[in-house]
Amino acid sequence: MREVDTMEEELKRAFLAMKRQEVIDLVKKEIESGTELLDILKACRGAMEEVGKRFETGEFFLSELIYSAEVFKAVSAILEPGLVSTREDEDSKGVVVFGTPKGDIHDLGKNIVITMMRSQGFTVHDLGVDVPPETFIKELQRTEASILALSALITPAFVSMKEAVSLLEEKGMRDNIFVIIGGGVTTDFARKEIGADAQTLDPTEAVRLCKEYGERRS
Amino acid sequence: MIKETMSRQERFEAAVALERPDRVPVMPLMTAFAPRSQGITQGEAWRDPEKGFKAMLDTFNDLGGFDKLYKPNLFWPMIGGRFCSSPVRVLIPGRQLPEDALNQIDERELFSRDDYDKLAALGWNAFWDEHYEKMSGGRPMERVISAQNRLLDEYIREAEIYHSQDISPLFGAYVDSSIMAFSMARTLTQFTMDLYEVPDKIKAAMDASCDDLIQNALDVVSKTKIPLVFIVLERGSGFYYRLDIFEQFEWPYLQRYVDAFLSEGLTPWFHFDTDWSLNLPYLTQLPKGKCVCDLDGMTDIIKAKEVLGGHMCISGDVPASLLTLGTPEEVCEYCQRLIDEVGRDGGFFLTTGCECPVDAKFENVKMMIDVAKTYNGSK
Repeated sequence: MREVDTMEEELKRAFLAMKRQEVIDLVKKEIESGTELLDILKACRGAMEEVGKRFETGEFFLSELIYSAEVFKAVSAILEPGLVSTREDEDSKGVVVFGTPKGDIHDLGKNIVITMMRSQGFTVHDLGVDVPPETFIKELQRTEASILALSALITPAFVSMKEAVSLLEEKGMRDNIFVIIGGGVTTDFARKEIGADAQTLDPTEAVRLCKEYGERRS
Repeated sequence: MIKETMSRQERFEAAVALERPDRVPVMPLMTAFAPRSQGITQGEAWRDPEKGFKAMLDTFNDLGGFDKLYKPNLFWPMIGGRFCSSPVRVLIPGRQLPEDALNQIDERELFSRDDYDKLAALGWNAFWDEHYEKMSGGRPMERVISAQNRLLDEYIREAEIYHSQDISPLFGAYVDSSIMAFSMARTLTQFTMDLYEVPDKIKAAMDASCDDLIQNALDVVSKTKIPLVFIVLERGSGFYYRLDIFEQFEWPYLQRYVDAFLSEGLTPWFHFDTDWSLNLPYLTQLPKGKCVCDLDGMTDIIKAKEVLGGHMCISGDVPASLLTLGTPEEVCEYCQRLIDEVGRDGGFFLTTGCECPVDAKFENVKMMIDVAKTYNGSK
């Protein structure tokens, strides 16, 4: 007789098969049967971690990240209201301030990376698009985040990125903030000119670099 | 300076035909950079096509001239109401954006998942005839048609002025690839969800739209008389999608584009944004020495040469970040490497990786052009 799959296995299989409705139905079934919301969320995070791994090995493509990120967002919307009272930031992998710098309104890449980060347990404060450098600094101070993530598709955003890094230096915050940049127009050459710590075009690499920073920091 | 023995057009044609011209042809894909370098705002250039045109011409001359002019002004040529791409909302400097900002596309859903059936039944043109006003919040189609026809007339008039000065604009028409057109209309995220959840509906809609997109481009070329079609590709690449998606939703239609354009004597120019490394081998199935593979810096251009060398002209790929943040010496080194590695046997066009950034340093763009005029390779 075949053993019944665990919730983790069922969810992972549905995530990896890119079956949105199946994931949602499974999550609802688990809620109805009284499974702890945080456990369901952790199972979904586990599935997302596997999606990320398969992306890194080349088995999955960006489209699979986009798809599963949307599914994760849908699941989070179902779980979050009930999680507010039980879930605190103590299990957070790190706190990130994220935005598209002033001069640029593109946010597709940013949104994908944010969902990937959240699915891996990061607390992300999304400031949206066309964000002035001072706003990033204020949000870093308010949230005590240790990671600043900046995404851009066009070069005018470089000026804002540079200004944000200069402001961090001016305010004596630079040593305590990991600055990561990404988006179509960024290169390692741009990273050096801007004074960022890391650059990537790969959402899973962004998550990994932030995790590694967190590990080094702790 | 290298002694020039060919006209600009001959040099370009030689590169496309995979021959080795007297020197490597060169062109920055210049739009927003021109008004900035002439000291006028982006808003001024958008409001007044004459100013945009003059900025383009003056910048061309200030840079010492080059082999093709990407566009006569800031606009894309189109016959009124016959869309060669999805009718996306462009945010204009001085209107929806600050006066000197770069124009940007406001990507949002232009039709819903339910509309694929309608597209399949009506085709691209009839669908937008019916759908445009609703989608645009009531903007009358007649106004769009009239504005686009006026801009097309401008394009033709300005192209004639350029021709009289031995400057030829690059393309006679542009058209989005199938995935590009549909992804921009649905947004990247929603189109990706659709690909996994309703692939048959997309396929039927694309089947019904392809001929209209081709015909719309051909109709524009019949007006502009410039024998090159600029095919906008970004979203169908291996950067986004696995190859079986490319094989179903991009490649068959791209082949139909190429067949149609070549049979009319036009050069298909593939403007490949993002990383197309995985897709490059497919291009070897296309006729030799007839098309151009234009790369933006994300595809490894050296690898592209290995795959396409001796089969398809390669164009690219001086990165935007280098032109904006780098020094002339760094630009020089990069361009010389391209000429050595990609241009060594001909079939190469030195261009910016995608468009020349608005805030590129003038001396960097000048250096890129000067390298092509002075350096013929170390090998």
